[in-house]
Amino acid sequence: MAETGASPSNDPVDVLIIGAGASGAAIAWSLTETRMRILCLEQGDWMSSSHYPTTRNNWEAQQFGAHHVDPNVRGLESDYPVNGTDSPIDVLNFNAVGGSTIAYAAHFPRLHPSDFRVRTLDGVADDWPVSYDDLEPYFVQNDRIMGVSGLPGDPMYPPKQLPLPPIPIGLVGETVARGFDRLGWHWWPSDSAILSQPYEGRDKCLNLNPCMTGCSQGAKGSVDITYWPEALRAGVELRTRCRVREVTVNADGMADGVVYYDADGKECFQKAEVVIMACNGVGTPRILLNSRSKQFPDGLANRSGLVGKNLMFHPVAVATGVFEERLDTHKGPQGCCILSKEFYETDLERGFVRGYNMQVTRGAAGPLATAMKGLAGGTIPWGPGHHEQFDRYFDHTVQCLAVCEDLPEECNQVTLDPELTDSSGIPAPKVTYRLSENSKTMLAHGLERGKEVMRAAGAVEIIETPLLRPGGWHLLGTARMGTDPERSVVNGWGRSHDVKNLFIVDGSIFVTAGGVNPTSTIQALALYIGDRIKANLANLFDD
Amino acid sequence: MENTMTFTDAHLRRLAALQDTIVPASDDGTMPSAGGIDLLAYLRAQAPGFLAELPGILERFDDGFADRPLAERVEVVRRFSEDDRSAFRSLVFRVYDSYYQDDRVRTAIGARPGAPFPGGHSIPAGDLSSLEAVKARGKGYRHPG
Repeated sequence: MAETGASPSNDPVDVLIIGAGASGAAIAWSLTETRMRILCLEQGDWMSSSHYPTTRNNWEAQQFGAHHVDPNVRGLESDYPVNGTDSPIDVLNFNAVGGSTIAYAAHFPRLHPSDFRVRTLDGVADDWPVSYDDLEPYFVQNDRIMGVSGLPGDPMYPPKQLPLPPIPIGLVGETVARGFDRLGWHWWPSDSAILSQPYEGRDKCLNLNPCMTGCSQGAKGSVDITYWPEALRAGVELRTRCRVREVTVNADGMADGVVYYDADGKECFQKAEVVIMACNGVGTPRILLNSRSKQFPDGLANRSGLVGKNLMFHPVAVATGVFEERLDTHKGPQGCCILSKEFYETDLERGFVRGYNMQVTRGAAGPLATAMKGLAGGTIPWGPGHHEQFDRYFDHTVQCLAVCEDLPEECNQVTLDPELTDSSGIPAPKVTYRLSENSKTMLAHGLERGKEVMRAAGAVEIIETPLLRPGGWHLLGTARMGTDPERSVVNGWGRSHDVKNLFIVDGSIFVTAGGVNPTSTIQALALYIGDRIKANLANLFDD
Repeated sequence: MENTMTFTDAHLRRLAALQDTIVPASDDGTMPSAGGIDLLAYLRAQAPGFLAELPGILERFDDGFADRPLAERVEVVRRFSEDDRSAFRSLVFRVYDSYYQDDRVRTAIGARPGAPFPGGHSIPAGDLSSLEAVKARGKGYRHPG
C-alpha cells in the first residue's frame, strides 16, 4: 500500500498525517521542504480517472449508487457510516486519496475579510485568531497549485488575481445574470477549481457536467492530481486503505502515534513525533473522541470539552427556475457558473445577522436524474404524459442556492454512536444538529430572493426547496481555533492547546463558517499552519 | 446471480408491457416506448442484483396484463406502486435508466449518445458585458484589517 519507493514499515516517522484529502494533501506538500520523514495514512484508495462514471454509458445511475455523495448510501468498504437521524441535514463526504475533492463541485470562493471578524463587526460568535490578510498569500499559493479559474475585479472581494480566466457561464449564466441585472443585484462568474485552459500538464474542462462523480478529464482540481503527485515526488509516504482508530499518548501526555487497521484488517501501531489530523469536521472529532486515555478520559485534546461541539454546516435553500427556452443545463460544470454576494454582508433590517451566497448551478441535470427528481417531486409522471413533462424540465431548469452562514452553537455536535460502527469496529459518528432561528430566517430570505431572481430572469415556474437535506458537504467548527484554551481546541496555528505535538488542519478548526464553500479557505489555512510549523521547528512544542 | 430459466415467455410479455406502461411512446411518435428496450440485457450487464428481484415483481401481474389497453394497465401498475413503493421505485429506476441510455432516445431528447467522456460538450462563454455596471457600484465588502 505504500505509494513511494520506500517499503512500508512501521518505523517511527517525524510527521504523521491522518487523511489524504484537501487539507492533508496541502500540509503534506508544505512540509516536504523540511526533509522530515512524513507519512500519511488514508482509509480510502486511489481513484482512477479512467474508471469514473462519465467514461461509461451508465454514468448517471452511478451517482445513485457507488458514487453517491452520501456515505450511508454509498456504503463502500472505505466509508464509515454516519448516524444522522438527529439532523435535518445529511453529512456528505468521499473517502479516498483526494477525500471529498474527488466528489466536490470545485466551487472555489474564498471566505471574505469580514468572515474572520464576526464578533468585532456583528457582535456574534467569535473572531478568528487569523485574518484574511494573514491567509491571502496562501490563497494565492493554493489557487496556483489547484488551478483556479475566475475573473478578477469582483467588487465584493479585495483585489485578487487568479491563474486562469473564468470557465464559460453558458446560456445558464447569461440567462440568470439578466435576472440579477434587472434587479440591480451583484453577480459574478464563480471562482472554480476547474481548468478553463490547459495548465501544468492537465487539460481543460470538457463541460462533461457531473463533476461530483469525479472528473475523467482531470480538469477539476482534486488533490490526488494536484498536491499529491508533488508531495510523493518529494518523498512523502502515503499508505492507503489504512484506517486510524485512535491517537495514542505517552506518559507525558504527548501524542506518540496511532493505532490503525491496514488493508488486511490487521491492527498496527505507527509511532510519530508529530500527529496532524486532516479528516474533516466529522472525521477528526470522531477519532479524537475515540482516543481516550488516563490523561484524556473525555477524548484527546478535549480538556475544553469542545471537541465535536459547534458543528456548522451551510444550510442551503434552493429555488429551481423552469424556463421556456432550452438552456443546455446538462452541459458544463454542474456546480460552477455564477454567484451573487448581494446578501452576503450583515444588514440587520433583513431580520438576521450575517448572510449568504447565492450560487447558480446547472445541477445534476442528466435525463435519468431529471426523470427521477420529477417522479419524486410529482412534476414528471410515469405513464401517459411522461414525455410532455420530461420535455418541460429536461435542459430547462436552473438552480439558485442560498448557501447560508451557520453560527456556532455547542448543542450542534458530533459524538460517538454507542452502537453503530464501521467495518473495522470503530464507533461511527453521531450528528446532533438543529437549525437556529437565525439560520431559519436567513434560509427563508434566501429562498425568496432566489425566487425573485428566477422570476426576473424569465422563469415560468419555480420549485422551492426550503432546506436541502442532502446538503452537508461543509463540515466545520468541531475543534475550533482560538487563543483561550478554555474556549477553543487549537491555537491560532492549529496546534492543540492540550497536546503540543498534535495539530488539526481541516475544517474542524473554523471558528465561524462564512457563507461560501470552504475548501479554498481550508487549504489556505493548512498551508498557513504548515509555514507556522516550519517557522517554529526549533521550539515547536514550547508553550 | 441471473437465471434465465426463471423468465418464462409470459414473464417476458409482462415485462415488455410493464416497460411500455411506465414509458409509453409519445402521442406524436417522436419518442419510442420503453417496451422496445431489452431490459434483461441491460440488467445482466449493469444491474445483475435487480435480476433476482424481477421475477417476484412480475408475479404480481397476471397473464392478461400484457393484453390490456394502456389505460387499464396504468391502473394496475398504479395499484402496484401503492402496494409496494420500494419495489416499484426500483423497477421505475431501472426502466428509466435503460431507456435514457438508449442512443435513439438520447438523440431524440437532444443529448449526445454514449458516455460524456471524452467527447464532452461545447458551451458559449456567455456575455459578461453587464459586469461593468456591477463594478461601477463600487466596493461591497467589509475589510476590518
